[in-house]
Order: sequence, then C-alpha cells, then structure tokens
Amino acid sequence: MSPALAAALEGAAKIAFVWGVVLGAVLPNLIWVERRMAGLIQDRPGPNRVGPFGLFQAIADILKMFMKEDVVPMYADRLLHTIAPLILLVPAMSTFAVIPFGSSIRLFDRDISLVVADVNIGILYVFALTSIGIYGLVLAGWASNNKFALMGGLRSSAQVISYELAMGIAAISVFLAAGSLRLTKVVEYQASGTFLGFLPLWNCFPQALGCMIFVVSAFAETNRLPFDHPEAEAELVAGYHTEYSAFRFGMFFMAEYLNLIAASAMMATLYFGGWSLPGLHLTGIPGGVVSIAVFAAKTGFFIFLFVWVRWTLPRFRFDQLMNLGWKVFLPLALLNLIVTGALVLWGVI
Amino acid sequence: MPALSGELVVFGFASLLVLAFALLMVVQKTPVRSVLSLVVTFFGLSVLAILLAAPFIAALQIFVYAGAILVLFLFVIMLLNLKEEAADKDDRPVQRTLGLLVALALGGLLAGATLRAPLPPRGTPTGTPIPMPDEIPALGRLLFSDYLLAFEVLSLLLLVAAVGALLLSKRRFE
Repeated sequence: MSPALAAALEGAAKIAFVWGVVLGAVLPNLIWVERRMAGLIQDRPGPNRVGPFGLFQAIADILKMFMKEDVVPMYADRLLHTIAPLILLVPAMSTFAVIPFGSSIRLFDRDISLVVADVNIGILYVFALTSIGIYGLVLAGWASNNKFALMGGLRSSAQVISYELAMGIAAISVFLAAGSLRLTKVVEYQASGTFLGFLPLWNCFPQALGCMIFVVSAFAETNRLPFDHPEAEAELVAGYHTEYSAFRFGMFFMAEYLNLIAASAMMATLYFGGWSLPGLHLTGIPGGVVSIAVFAAKTGFFIFLFVWVRWTLPRFRFDQLMNLGWKVFLPLALLNLIVTGALVLWGVI
Repeated sequence: MPALSGELVVFGFASLLVLAFALLMVVQKTPVRSVLSLVVTFFGLSVLAILLAAPFIAALQIFVYAGAILVLFLFVIMLLNLKEEAADKDDRPVQRTLGLLVALALGGLLAGATLRAPLPPRGTPTGTPIPMPDEIPALGRLLFSDYLLAFEVLSLLLLVAAVGALLLSKRRFE
C-alpha cells in the first residue's frame, strides 16, 4: 500500500470514528440524559416509556421529526429559509476535526495520532467555524419573515459576537502558555509538568479566571440557558426557529447539541488537560484506549454540567447578558491575559 | 501550459467563486443577500490563502471578516429592516464618476503590479507536501519589530474610530 493511500485511509477511518461516536452514541444519549435529568431536577419521572428507562426516547424523537410536515411560511425568503439550518449544522459537525480525542495508538504498524487534523491554527479553526455558525441563526431569523424570529436572530448576532470576544481573549492566554495554536501541543503542554509543585499543569489552575470566563461564555455561545435569549420561549415564542418544523427544526436541535458537545470537548482540551491524566503513562494500545476514555470522561462531565445548569438557573435579562459580556468578562479576560503574559515571561508556568 | 494539478483546479475553483460572488454582491438587490455573497467571497479568499501556505491568514479572514465584521453588517441591516434597495435615482453624478475613476485607477495599478512581478521559477512538483511551519511566532516577531510603527499607527487609528463612533452615538441620544 502506498503511503499516500494509507494516510488517506487513516484519515477516513478517524473521521468515521469521530462522527460515528458523536452522532451515533453521544448525541442520542444526550437527548435522553437531558430529558431524564430535567425530570429528576423537576421531581417527575421524565420520559420512561420507550425502551428500558426510556433509553430509546431519542429514536422516537428523531422519527417524529421526520414524519412531520415541513412548513415554509408565506413571504419567507425560501432559499435562505431552506439553507439556514444547514449553515448552522455543517460548522457544528466540522469542529470535531481538530480536537485531539486521545494520545496515539499503534495499529497495523502505524503510529496513529488520535486527532483527525492536527492543523497549526487549531484554536482559530474552531473559532472561525463557530463564528460561521451564527449566520445560521441570524438568517433563520431574518428569512422567516416573522417578528419573533427576527428578534431572536438579532439577539443571537449581538450575543455571540460579544461573548466571542471575551472567550477568544481567554483562549489567547491558553496558547500563550502552551506556545502554540495546535491543540495537540496545548494538551502536551498540560501533561508536561506540575503547577506550584503539586497540581497538574492544567490551564484551569494557573488561569482559573480565564477558565471561568471561557466556561460561562461557552453557555452564551451555544445559546444554552441561562443565556438562551435567541429562543427565549417566554418572550419570543421560539425565537429564531419559530417558523421551522419537522426535520429542519430537527437540524437546529441537532446543531445545538453538537455545539454543546464540541464546547464541552474544547473545555476539556483547553483547560482540563485533554486526554492526559497525571500519573498515568501507559503506552501502546492500552495507553491509546485509556486516553480516549479519559477524554470522554472529561467531556462527559462538561456535557453533564451544561444540562445541570440548564434546568437549575433562570434566564437572565438581555441587558444583564450584554453588561456581563462587555463590562465584566472583557476586562477580566484582558486582566487574565496580562497576568498569564507576566507568568510566562518570568517562567512561572 | 502547466499540467492540470490539484492545486490549479482548487485555485481555479476558488478564484471563480470569489469573482462570481463578488459580482453577485454588487448586483444583488436584497442587502442581506449581498452580505451573504460577500461571506462566500471571503471563503474563496481564505481558500486562496491556504493555497499560498498561509493558513493563519485564512483563519483570520473567516474569523474576523466573515465571523465578526459581516455579522455586524447583517445586524445593522436587519435592525434597520432594509428589505430592498431604494430605487436608483442617480442624484450623485459627481461621486459616481469619481468612484468609477478611482476604481479604474486602482484596478490598473493592481494589474500593472501583477504583470511586472517576476514569475516564480517553474519547477516540477515533487509530490511531497511542504510542511507548514508554525508561522505565528514569526509573524508576531515581525509585527513587534520591523513593522512596529505601522502596527501602532493602525491600532491608534482603530482606537480613534471607536472613540469617534461612541461620541457620535452619544450625542444623538442627548
């Protein structure tokens, strides 16, 4: 087999693995977890009829979406109304390409690094894709020709840009410490030593402030409660997707969950050591498998956090959201950048 | 005539995309669709940047221009609820002519510079991809050494623009 063909096969296998796990295992279970957790928190059973413990609820939900009628409102911009969910979904599915989901594994006499594409602009690629995703929300709101949808679209554009700023500056500190934009380098850096002698060098310790800003901003970026103003059902009916039904609504639904999974994976990668665990230095196939498991556990924790927060906190007012983003998070993120810069300059981290 | 390489195909496709959607942006009547055409144009430009082995520029093109600036454009257009461009009454003939002249001059300048530029030596492609270096540290070093003055002047310009915008919007509310 020629090296080029082998590399292509390796890439295809990794893409199949990542999408298979995310779309086939994480996404349906996330729907179940969200609905059962909602039940648990609200002191009711939650969906428990389809399959054992209601585990097949996701299949029922997805089937329902395919069976319903796809309605396009009159006087809507047909073209944009049709492609808006796709504009949101495609970037959401592509983010996973640069996230390292494990160390490396040796199969068929090849060292396979467990990341689909180890590009040298890693973090920027993720941010570029998230910023493209906004167009999906904004256009869905505009193309629907509906006041509520338009308000939702407007809110999403204002909100996402505001929080992207704080989030981006917080992330700059991370690659300042790691010395590279490559996400694999960021993970290797965090696995490389200790902070203050006894803590792992995970960025969440030296950059606790940046970590907090990143995590909270991620809630705003993914339009999750307490920052779900673009859909805010108490004020805007359903916000940007008011005029969507059937599988087009399903695409929005899916994109929201994919963004949530990607955001959780990014938090684990940037601030919590990615696939590394201090004191664990296995090699070979067990090392690779364990690193995948560690990464999955960390990501799973943040997915759980997203669900937990959604059913615990009420929605902020929109002006509170804007004030928080511009007047609190942006200055704090800059402060975090200066402090991290000083620490790097003096060789503390 | 160079052989039809993958690079040439991508270049041709990206250039066509850029030109077609730039044209579409100008002739489009709905402002929202114009903005979207510009977004596609920026995508094409970032593909061209990747072909030039400058992925950092490509990512910034998407992140800053498509992701932030054009979203703000869209925000303003939607806020003002511009459905269709107002009918073209040519009430600014002088500006129109001047604009055309400047565009022609700029186009001529660019075309002249491109034609005069020396062609790179045409070697046979070896088939091994060039490893992309981490170009960001080098870029940062250049920005803060050789191009420090230009960098600071640009920052100051942006600051002045931001302060000016604040001042103007504040005066309107008082």
